Amino acid sequence: MPGKLTKRSTHPFFVFTHWVNAMAMLFLTISGLYIAFPIINGFMGVARGTHFFWMFVLLINIIARIVSMFFIKCACEQGGECVEYDYKNWFPQKTNRHQMWPMIKYYLFFKKDYPITAKYAGLQKLAYWLSIILTFAIAYTGFALWGPTQDWIIFRIGNEIVGSLFGFGGGDGLMAMRLIHHWLMWFILIFTCIHGYLANIYGPSASRLIFLYKDKK
Amino acid sequence: MATPNITMDPITRIEGQLAVECVAENGVIVDAWSVSKLFRGIEVVLKGRAPEDAFYVTQRMCGVCPTSHGHASSKAVEAIDPSFRLPNGARIVRNILEGAEWLHSHIFHFYALAALDYVNPAKALQADIANTIALAKEKGIAIDDYAAVQARVLKLVQGGDLSIFTNGWWGIDPVANPEEADELYNPDMPAELHLIGVAQYLKGLEMQAVAAQIIAIIGGKFPMPMTSVAGGTAWMPRADKLDDCLFRLKEVADFIKRQMIPYTFAIAPYYVSALSYGQGVGNFLSWGCFDRSSMTPENRYLPAGFIKSAVGLNVVNRPDPKMVTEDVGRSWYKNSSNLMPFDGATEPVTNFEYDLGGKYSWGKAPKYAGDPMEAGPLARILVAYMDTDSPTNSLIRGVVDNAVATLGIELTDLVSTLGRVAARNLEAAVAAELAFEWVDELVVELRKGRADFWTSYSARSGEGVATWEAPRGALAHYIKTAGGRIENYQIVTPSTWILSPRNDDGAPGPMEAALIGTPVANIERPIEAARVIRSFDP
Amino acid sequence: MGSEMTFYENLSQRGVSRRDFLKFCGSTAAVLGLSSTFVPTLASKIAGAAESGLTPAIWATGGKCTGCLESTLQATYPNVADIVLDLLTLNYSAASMATGKYAGEAKKGVYEGDRPFIMIYEGAIMTGLGGNTLVNADKTTSLDDLEHVMHSPNLKAIIAMGQCAVDGGWTRAFPNPAGGMGIKYYLEQEGLDHVPVVNLPGCPASPEELTAVVVQALLLGSDGTLETGIQAVAADLDRLNRPKYLYNATIHDSCPRRGHFENGEFVHRYGSDAEKKNWCVYPMGCKGPQTYRRCPMMRWNDAQSWCVESGGICIGCATWNWVDNNAPFKGRHRRVGANNILPGVWKGGINPIGTAAALTGVVAAALVAHGFGMKAAGRCGKNATLKTEEMKEYDRKRLKKQGGA
Repeated sequence: MPGKLTKRSTHPFFVFTHWVNAMAMLFLTISGLYIAFPIINGFMGVARGTHFFWMFVLLINIIARIVSMFFIKCACEQGGECVEYDYKNWFPQKTNRHQMWPMIKYYLFFKKDYPITAKYAGLQKLAYWLSIILTFAIAYTGFALWGPTQDWIIFRIGNEIVGSLFGFGGGDGLMAMRLIHHWLMWFILIFTCIHGYLANIYGPSASRLIFLYKDKK
Repeated sequence: MATPNITMDPITRIEGQLAVECVAENGVIVDAWSVSKLFRGIEVVLKGRAPEDAFYVTQRMCGVCPTSHGHASSKAVEAIDPSFRLPNGARIVRNILEGAEWLHSHIFHFYALAALDYVNPAKALQADIANTIALAKEKGIAIDDYAAVQARVLKLVQGGDLSIFTNGWWGIDPVANPEEADELYNPDMPAELHLIGVAQYLKGLEMQAVAAQIIAIIGGKFPMPMTSVAGGTAWMPRADKLDDCLFRLKEVADFIKRQMIPYTFAIAPYYVSALSYGQGVGNFLSWGCFDRSSMTPENRYLPAGFIKSAVGLNVVNRPDPKMVTEDVGRSWYKNSSNLMPFDGATEPVTNFEYDLGGKYSWGKAPKYAGDPMEAGPLARILVAYMDTDSPTNSLIRGVVDNAVATLGIELTDLVSTLGRVAARNLEAAVAAELAFEWVDELVVELRKGRADFWTSYSARSGEGVATWEAPRGALAHYIKTAGGRIENYQIVTPSTWILSPRNDDGAPGPMEAALIGTPVANIERPIEAARVIRSFDP
Repeated sequence: MGSEMTFYENLSQRGVSRRDFLKFCGSTAAVLGLSSTFVPTLASKIAGAAESGLTPAIWATGGKCTGCLESTLQATYPNVADIVLDLLTLNYSAASMATGKYAGEAKKGVYEGDRPFIMIYEGAIMTGLGGNTLVNADKTTSLDDLEHVMHSPNLKAIIAMGQCAVDGGWTRAFPNPAGGMGIKYYLEQEGLDHVPVVNLPGCPASPEELTAVVVQALLLGSDGTLETGIQAVAADLDRLNRPKYLYNATIHDSCPRRGHFENGEFVHRYGSDAEKKNWCVYPMGCKGPQTYRRCPMMRWNDAQSWCVESGGICIGCATWNWVDNNAPFKGRHRRVGANNILPGVWKGGINPIGTAAALTGVVAAALVAHGFGMKAAGRCGKNATLKTEEMKEYDRKRLKKQGGA
């Protein structure tokens, strides 16, 4: 994010949801790994409690974030003055036009200059959409495994489908679902790595803004 | 090649799928083929899996002897690690578990599978209860409620619903033609003895379940016990559980001592003819079973050894699992013949043809140093009897000498159809006696307070072989691993030995050899052949 | 069973007291998931059916290890279960018949007869080599045998006994060398699926499950006969054709060691002190959390024990294609690749967790490398070649459009 970011580029509520997201993902990852591989004794209850608590927090948070994009305004160009409803940032803008391919070339060192782009580049928007889909997908697989919701028809069907994909010939599909749940976590981790890297490679200003809501040193 | 005029398909009251075809001329079988009907390919399925998984999967080869397959598999995996030593506690627990498996299997085989070849349930109706009790007393058989048993059989016969005995008379209606039905058996055998047999048959069904309960207590369930994993055992003995095992063991041992053995002695005189046929190949192989703390096969409670007819019945040599080769010239496999199991392959043919002159069985033809071998209780008893260095020798000699004296036969007569059945029952008595010894041993071990039941091992790469004994005979698992995966897994089961088709030299397998020369009074009802087949516990 | 003898006389004849019988009904009710108030109903239904008549049954076999039959012989209260199973007269069973053609004739007698009958099928359908992986001496195959039975109009229902009959069991595990298949799927493939199939998965199936189906059939049957009852059971199956009440809870959910799981009290090594305390074997690879069966409640061999109670793990033997789906058994997750999706691509499959973690590591490493590249190219910090002015231009235009400053 080479452009200049100002406080106008985000909103305190987004800073808050970003914090919650980060914490939830951290706790869910740690507790989830413990649930799968309890290498030390004593924390299964804690880990499961943590996992379920943060699972609800993450879900509520992400829904709140999605709803808020229709009510909260922020800048839509890099370092811009003009503010728009946030949802516009999530869809293609004029400044995204013909920008994706040059951006790929730029990051692969085939192009020297950073292309013109909106606050969020095209690839970035796709990645953010993907992160929302991944979160809902991992939530779905989690509910399909969770005792109280396992038997809901919507999750039953999912179990059956992945069962026939990975267990071929039907089956309860719990093993396949558990694997997918686990894999999705790794995908989210991969997303987080890339996200963290690209946000910080041009300097700490983006992080300072999104975590501390400060735009100047 | 003469066309077979006796085709027995399916051979019933056995584990697995078997057919036998014979040529009988002038009332004697002159040629026989043993057809293993089923191919499932467990050796192919196991390739590429984790070595530890073999314990769970190989048990599913055989629903009657899963325990033995499990033990052999775990031992094979452990054998990959040269520094591995099975913890003493685990050794004893495995012995008890295996012992219970044998008790279960031998009782199950003698009563549920073999007994109806010798006992006529319909004739039991003619028995007089007072005479039956007197006869039982005379033969040293513990008395049962014979009146109730007779009433039960009567009810079955009157109701026209013979339940478990349906069609046990080879197509003869035992109610309409009792004499004809009795021709299948020995008509001289008194009805009272048949009634005792039926009573024991019913009791035997219960006793095999009691023996299996011991397996369930230690292993979680039977069939397919779950605890003898590679490295030791997952079961932690507790006084109360041991107690549960012990009283069931007492019940089973009591049944064997006071019912099964005396009954075997009581009916044997009526079937002396079965001493004269079914000798088989005369070569015997026992890998040895039930480890002592030295953990060497020759030092086992039932020692490892082989006997070759060419050398003599009384010469026991120590077997080497690497001397085994398997021929597939007459089996439906396309891989090369005469392979040692470490390099063995299991590749089914692509052009299937059922041809008694060519390939005719899904079983391979194993050879020990070039010869087909008989495996089973008879082989084990003979080896243990002849091996004077074995610490169990005096126990076996006592039991066998007593039996030989009681029946008034020679030791060599044991190599026959009836002898094979008798050897199995004698072995059940031996196993019951040894099981008590192991329970005592385990108690001593537990008292030390530091009994160990599992230890780690490394099975990543290497090769291991386990020689063991299933109730029905010699069992060897060969495993080769690389990078923590199974590269090759070959199993030489007792059935492979016993039901072997002809090998590439044209020598018939043990059961085929035993059938050749067997007299058959009526080729429509070849019960003599069935006796030979079932004496092997195929 | 003769009508002159009442059911309870019949029981005592077999050495079963009325008390034993009610106990049996109690445990069957438990397996069926019924409350204890149902016990008298069960008892009278069983007694009534036992007095009214029998349904002939064929115990047919495919590629099997005899384990399911063995298992049936280990029934709880053997005599009572015997009677319940006697509601089916086993008119053909390879385990108890005379040998050879007479056995075949007994079987023919049932399927060519005029009475309705049911078939209990044990073992996988062997389809490999045109069915010759289970061949008969008359050069026909087990598939032909099955077809003969299927063509009988009197066949009312099939009970697939054990995992092999349900889906092929271990026989169908990769690479399925002998073409093992579940009976239901085979019949669908051959267009012979006009008869309902009740699946009783598990390796082996348990006698309690079989008797539970028989008893449930008695409860559901409209005209009191077993064949309509079993059809009623078959009409109320879950999507995997299992009786709903028998397979609706995971082993984990009803495991007596569940408390230890929640407390985080785990066994990490066999033979350890933790195992002595009967702690949870989840880290040893227990597949209880994804296996639907009632083992902890019904237990095995006259309710002596079950796998986990004795210290072993659950290997999920009642899950579909359990050998592929659950192996390696000591791991938490199956390996991926040893299946039909990528046949033979990876021998033994890949470790899904290790692979995913490694992939994440590779991405992270690539990002670090990329970062050095960015640094070397002088794109980081203030040196970045940015078209800031042009971007600002867009912003200004936009602002103007909005009518702002």
